[in-house]
Amino acid sequence: MAEEKVESNRTNAFVVSARKRTIQNVVKRAGESVLFAIASFVAVIVLFIFYFVARDAIPFFQIRGFTEFFTSSNWYPADDPGQFGALAIMYGSLMVTIGSAMIAVPMGVAAAICLSDILPFSIRQYAKPIIEMLAAIPSVAFGFFALVVLAPLMQDKGGPMLMWAWWILVSPFLLLAVIVVSDLLTAAIKDEKRRQQLHILLLIVFGLFSVLLLYKVGTVLYGVQILTGTNALNVSIILSFMALPTIVSVSEDALQAVGRDLREGSYALGATRAETIIKTVLPAASSGILAAVILGIMRALGETMVVWMASGNSSHIPEPWFNYLEAIRTLTATIAGDMGEADQVTGSARFHVLFAMGLLLLLISFISNLVSERIVIRQRKILSGQ
Amino acid sequence: MTTDATKTSESVPAKKTRDIYLPPERKVISGGGAAHIVAKDFSIYYGEFQAVKKINADILSKYVTAIIGPSGCGKSTFLRAINRMNDLIPSCHTTGALLFDGDDIYGKLTDEVLLRKKVGMVFQKPNPFPKSIFDNIAYGPRLHGVNDKKKLMEIVERSLRKAAIWDEVSDRLDKNALGLSGGQQQRLCVARTLAVEPEVLLLDEPTSALDPKATAKIEDLIQELRGSYTIMIVTHNMQQASRVSDSTMFFYEGVLVEHAPTAQLFTNPKDPMTEDYITGRFS
Amino acid sequence: MNIGTRKILDRSFTAVGIGSIIVMAIALMIVVVPIVSNGIGAVFFTGTIEHRKLLRDEFKRGNSENLDSEVASSERYRAKVYDMLTGFEAELETMAPEKKTQYKGKYSQVRTALQALLGPLPGDQMPMLTRFKYGQTRWEKAEEKLHDLLYESKWDNSNTEVMSREYFVSRAKSFEGTSLAPLFPYLSHNVEKMLLPEFTVYWGFITDSSVDSHFFGGIWPEIQGTFFLAMGAMLFAFPLGVVAAVYFTEYAKPGFLNSMLRSANSTLAGVPSIVFGMFGLAFFINTLKVSPSKSVIAGALTLAIMILPTIIRAAEEAILAVPKTYREASLSLGSTKWNTIATVILPAALPGILTGGVISLGRAAGETAPIIFTAAVSVGSAIGLADVLSSPTPALSWNIYNLASEHEAAAQIRHVQYGMVLALVSIVLLLNLSAIVLRARISKKLKG
Repeated sequence: MAEEKVESNRTNAFVVSARKRTIQNVVKRAGESVLFAIASFVAVIVLFIFYFVARDAIPFFQIRGFTEFFTSSNWYPADDPGQFGALAIMYGSLMVTIGSAMIAVPMGVAAAICLSDILPFSIRQYAKPIIEMLAAIPSVAFGFFALVVLAPLMQDKGGPMLMWAWWILVSPFLLLAVIVVSDLLTAAIKDEKRRQQLHILLLIVFGLFSVLLLYKVGTVLYGVQILTGTNALNVSIILSFMALPTIVSVSEDALQAVGRDLREGSYALGATRAETIIKTVLPAASSGILAAVILGIMRALGETMVVWMASGNSSHIPEPWFNYLEAIRTLTATIAGDMGEADQVTGSARFHVLFAMGLLLLLISFISNLVSERIVIRQRKILSGQ
Repeated sequence: MTTDATKTSESVPAKKTRDIYLPPERKVISGGGAAHIVAKDFSIYYGEFQAVKKINADILSKYVTAIIGPSGCGKSTFLRAINRMNDLIPSCHTTGALLFDGDDIYGKLTDEVLLRKKVGMVFQKPNPFPKSIFDNIAYGPRLHGVNDKKKLMEIVERSLRKAAIWDEVSDRLDKNALGLSGGQQQRLCVARTLAVEPEVLLLDEPTSALDPKATAKIEDLIQELRGSYTIMIVTHNMQQASRVSDSTMFFYEGVLVEHAPTAQLFTNPKDPMTEDYITGRFS
Repeated sequence: MNIGTRKILDRSFTAVGIGSIIVMAIALMIVVVPIVSNGIGAVFFTGTIEHRKLLRDEFKRGNSENLDSEVASSERYRAKVYDMLTGFEAELETMAPEKKTQYKGKYSQVRTALQALLGPLPGDQMPMLTRFKYGQTRWEKAEEKLHDLLYESKWDNSNTEVMSREYFVSRAKSFEGTSLAPLFPYLSHNVEKMLLPEFTVYWGFITDSSVDSHFFGGIWPEIQGTFFLAMGAMLFAFPLGVVAAVYFTEYAKPGFLNSMLRSANSTLAGVPSIVFGMFGLAFFINTLKVSPSKSVIAGALTLAIMILPTIIRAAEEAILAVPKTYREASLSLGSTKWNTIATVILPAALPGILTGGVISLGRAAGETAPIIFTAAVSVGSAIGLADVLSSPTPALSWNIYNLASEHEAAAQIRHVQYGMVLALVSIVLLLNLSAIVLRARISKKLKG
């Protein structure tokens, strides 16, 4: 019973002297501090990256100011005096980023939906390694492919390739649109017989119209001559391959996070699978998918080797501005390409302007990372709150 | 029992054995019955939530004490407090005193690592390490400085024999422990705990993941170990509690409603709530 | 909408999803197939006698006696060509001046094409560059050169609306009536006897150094450089990453500081690779001065910080996947926290951690941008282990870029480029494959 405790010199093996306990505590604290120091190494590196890139970027703005860099397209760094207008280069980066996003986002989201909601597990097992392999292939290999295989192909067979791409990609969707539109237009008619007649009429009219459209645009595309295979389209296609794995895997996570209950609720109301996904699952996962898109786009924007090898590296804004068949130049490729020459004159505007571009890239990637992180956290909160 | 060395100790077990009412088929344990673990106004909190409320109890040495109660009543929390496994939960803290042989388990000078060496625990789900059977048993002794291969082998064999699993595994000590059946794994876990030579054995619903046959074996094992170790077993199975234990604690919503010799608690409960529970009116 | 349309929409929706996965698979195929099929050609190809001469002269390899008799037999056929040349040169002297100038130009074209095909002609000065010392070493190239020799290529600019077109004119025709005319049919009939093509397996492509900036020889310096850089990066990043992951999973308490550290981690993961390169230049070389200029160590450090977030994330996941019960079991046996981590948790998480490590290794091996300013040089021989602290190295990724984009004769050494790409891609994919196998083994092991 409790009275026994009075026994003074009898202590259990687990009770240690105050001194030993203090030492234990100190050792524990010290160990944890060492671990903390190592873990915060990453944060230190991030600060260092910002500091060292900014340190070499700021002199450029001190020498040349901001206006020229952001508003001029004259990029003649080797001239004396040099001209450092980076507008066309920034525009080139923007162009390939948007171009690759236009290919990769719909495909990536569709593939993610397919992986999370449509394919049975047995097939998913094989689909996932494909995506992982696509992610694993080094960028320089993609760049090499773009330069050595795709570029000559585009230069020789550009027109026919565009035409076939147009036909293969657009015709199914056009067909679908014809079906849906004619259905919607006739939906209001009450009389079943008249409705069907009109429906068929509309189908024929729209069908003929779309076939004509396909053919006309196809022949126009066939006649297109691609003067250089190393152009924005080439780069956009390859970059989209590289952004796809990120988009697919992050959006799949977001889709998986949407619970079964929500889906079952929708099915129970008589929705088809497509309707369930589009009207219920996608809105719930939208912020996560947005985060995925941001991360994927960042991969395209930050990619160096492909654009350096296959974009043509010509610093001008294409004519017209949306012409993807012209050579362009991007921030990353400029840094990679010009550093070699600029390096010898450390301290010159020519050297610092590259760091200014690096800082720009760094800031964009930092901001988009923060944004996507916030989005993911918010989605998690909303989903767990429901 | 080291406590017995002191002069008060002689009278204590004698006094305690009288306290505990045992049915005729259960032997009185000589040298057992001292107040091994004592709770004094002991409470456990998870943050603001009081999971165990000011309980007072004596756990008698070398006897088997069962803890029963509906799920979420704090029985596991109390059990895990005894070897401070609750330390893993950052928000968990305690008030009052929980004494082990008179020393506060939550005292400032308590080294929880040494404490856990004296208070072994077997968990709800068998959790052998993904190592060989031998290495599983030798894990504890190695931690505490036994490295001699021959001595380790002795400990391993002794522990496995005590846990009544030696005959089943003696020819495959180098095989992965995860290859054993659930019941064997659980007895292996008991053996692993015994290998560090604890004084107290805490069993947290040790049979809830096992089939009836394996359960029976574990219950037999508990009977074998009774008298050598102070055993506490949390169980949701009242038949099991009545079969294996000498005294039983009934918890309800964090309160220790009744603590009495098992034979008495199951046949003649003092508290109406206990009666409701053991007769199955709620669970 | 009526139910039929809804069903069609539903089906098409499924089709779009499956279609995009198929497109991804096709994209992977389209990229990988040419790389593999052409890359294999760097090792397996039809080699000519020139290749065997090269191996003997530059690498002291091959059966010298056999080769001598082969050379003798090929020289017999070549002798007739040389005779025709001397004959025509003599004839040239007798021509009228106007005609002479006309033929002289054409003749020098023929000579150049012949040199490209067969190597230096008798009477030529021994060229300085190895690439001119030998004729075509690969049969498919020899066939191209033969074509160049037999036909003159001309461009048709008549239609200004479309791009100009290439067309060919037979050289035999333009030399009709001269003593050189029989040369062309003779060449096309006997080129095989002059070059003696046979199927060749050239493993030296992997283990040899390059000769004359990758015109001949292998890619060993690049492979070794890639290995040094990737392993060096792992040496720094792996221990750091695992320890940081242990901190995040076992010790970190939720709070502002912790979320800051996590944000830092994802920020680092998102930094464009070229910025790592700039940072490596500005910090490791210009500030810390780990080496006077580019060096393996500077590149490895730069790659290390690039792969650090990946390793941390993978290790964290692996540690979190270790069942909580292991931790409880170990602690209940009287193990300290640190001991539990070292003896139970890390061993159980090891396969997962290794998987992450192997994938990061592949990433470090494949990245180019971070090493452009910090470690890579385009030409160079294999460096010794002792030189990693001071000297730069060629590396597969960088040299692929360099050979494909900046080499003065990029189009002539496509097979080397393809071989390099194949080497790099197979290294990276093999690493990834082993990661997948490792992962499969974990789940098996945890199941018992």
